[in-house]
Amino acid sequence: MALKRAWGFLLLPALAVLAAAFLMPLANLGMKSLHLFAGPGREQPGLTLENYIAFLEDPFNWGLLGWTSLLGLLVVGISLVLGLPVAYFLARTKTRWRPVLFLLVIAPMLVSVVIRNLGWIPILSESGVVNSLLIALGLVSQPLKLFNNLAGVVIGLVHAFLPFLILTLATVIQRIDPQIEEASINLGAGPFETFCRVVLPLTRPGLIAGSLIVFTLAVSAYTTPAVMGGGRVLVMSTYVQQQIGTLLDYATGATVAIVLLVWGAFLSILALRFSKAEA
Amino acid sequence: MIGRLGLRVAVALVFLFMIAPILSVMVWSFSGGRLFVFPPSAWTLKWYGSIPPAFLAALKVSLLTAIGATVVGVAVGVPAALALVRGALPFSRALSAICLSPLMVPGLVIGVASFQFMNVIFDVFRLSLLESVPGLILGHAAFTVPFVIRAVIAGQVQYDAAIEEAALSLGATPLRAFFTVTLPMLAPAVASGAIFAFLMSFDDVPVALFVGGGSATTLPVLILNSVQFNFSPDILALCSIVAGAIVLLVALCSRLFGLDKFTGPSHS
Repeated sequence: MALKRAWGFLLLPALAVLAAAFLMPLANLGMKSLHLFAGPGREQPGLTLENYIAFLEDPFNWGLLGWTSLLGLLVVGISLVLGLPVAYFLARTKTRWRPVLFLLVIAPMLVSVVIRNLGWIPILSESGVVNSLLIALGLVSQPLKLFNNLAGVVIGLVHAFLPFLILTLATVIQRIDPQIEEASINLGAGPFETFCRVVLPLTRPGLIAGSLIVFTLAVSAYTTPAVMGGGRVLVMSTYVQQQIGTLLDYATGATVAIVLLVWGAFLSILALRFSKAEA
Repeated sequence: MIGRLGLRVAVALVFLFMIAPILSVMVWSFSGGRLFVFPPSAWTLKWYGSIPPAFLAALKVSLLTAIGATVVGVAVGVPAALALVRGALPFSRALSAICLSPLMVPGLVIGVASFQFMNVIFDVFRLSLLESVPGLILGHAAFTVPFVIRAVIAGQVQYDAAIEEAALSLGATPLRAFFTVTLPMLAPAVASGAIFAFLMSFDDVPVALFVGGGSATTLPVLILNSVQFNFSPDILALCSIVAGAIVLLVALCSRLFGLDKFTGPSHS
């Protein structure tokens, strides 16, 4: 019994740090959202649900939620198209370069996201690599706008979160017995048909879990929309930053932040459920 | 075999996409021509000699913060992970959920919450945490602690308790068995958790944006501001050095500890 209590003491420092760094700040944020705005940096006394009612009644907020979700779906869709072939290749290849290839998937994910965003500027700008190539090949006559707008945000987010999808899918595909594919080929299906009708259905749990992870990360990301959107793309997170950082409307900012938190946590738990079901 | 070739081409293109922005930072850090015109008309090393002092100061703030937040993460996270797995504590599932819950919260929400809470701390205790490195460390501890806990929990699931029991039955005291047998076996998990926590702290923008500032502006926040307001190529040299250092660190760690430990989702 005394020993058990000793284990409990080992947990206390972590709980204390998390209380100071996370739980109490979050509780304070929740309280802020229950007060009304009373000028920059100040709130009215008295608890009220008015902020949430106002949030739900304003069509602008629904637009913002819808728009952010649409962005998330776009990022998930493109990531699936790009990620599936790579995940399949990584799961099935026998090359001795496999560890290096995995490193190529993981390393970009760990390089600071602002540095990666910065790296896209010379590639996507009007006189950048992509536009120079497109014009030289005669595919477009005017340079495309790929930066400081939605296109830039989508490219940045796909780049940021594709590795999570690839790793999730590769793990699931690796568990599928290659003999099932051989059987399908022996029975006369082509490689593409085998992939679509045998591999894909077996990958379903991974597809759902991976898509949910990417969607959650995409709708709650702040840095990439801020940099790649050039301040012109408003999503939930950049809107919260604007309310609190620029307008000093702590009450509205806190309310939208709590909505974002609940939404993100709900999606994360859903993703966790699916990845557990698959394991 | 057209399908096989098609797959390889598609995979190669996606890999090119993955490394493109990092390659781009490195290539353009040597460009001496007009800004971002492709292909670069001249090459130079001059940017490496003229990294602005403000950026070096910000790099120092970032490193101090990341080291501090990692030390806090390991110091409180490793004992917590041990207690959660081996303690047979009451409500251990709920306690684990509390310890790991910050990983489900968007970074921006943590940033905003820390900012407002540190304002309250100042109002009540006259203790100024905003725009200071200790404040940044506390803000980042919200995710470095759970990262270390998660890595060390995973490390214990994989390891063989029989080895520790063997040490005990051969006469080692529990304390000795822990320090000479258990801890060395957990070292890779602790190390990968620590490195991941370090990189997440070093990468963070949303928390540092709200909590930092002034003399405690981190490198990512300074880069973000300069991209939005007055971009100049002299910062590319520093970015390319930092990116190269991170890639080397990750390559080294993946050789030492395996890659699988680095794959948890995070918000950026």
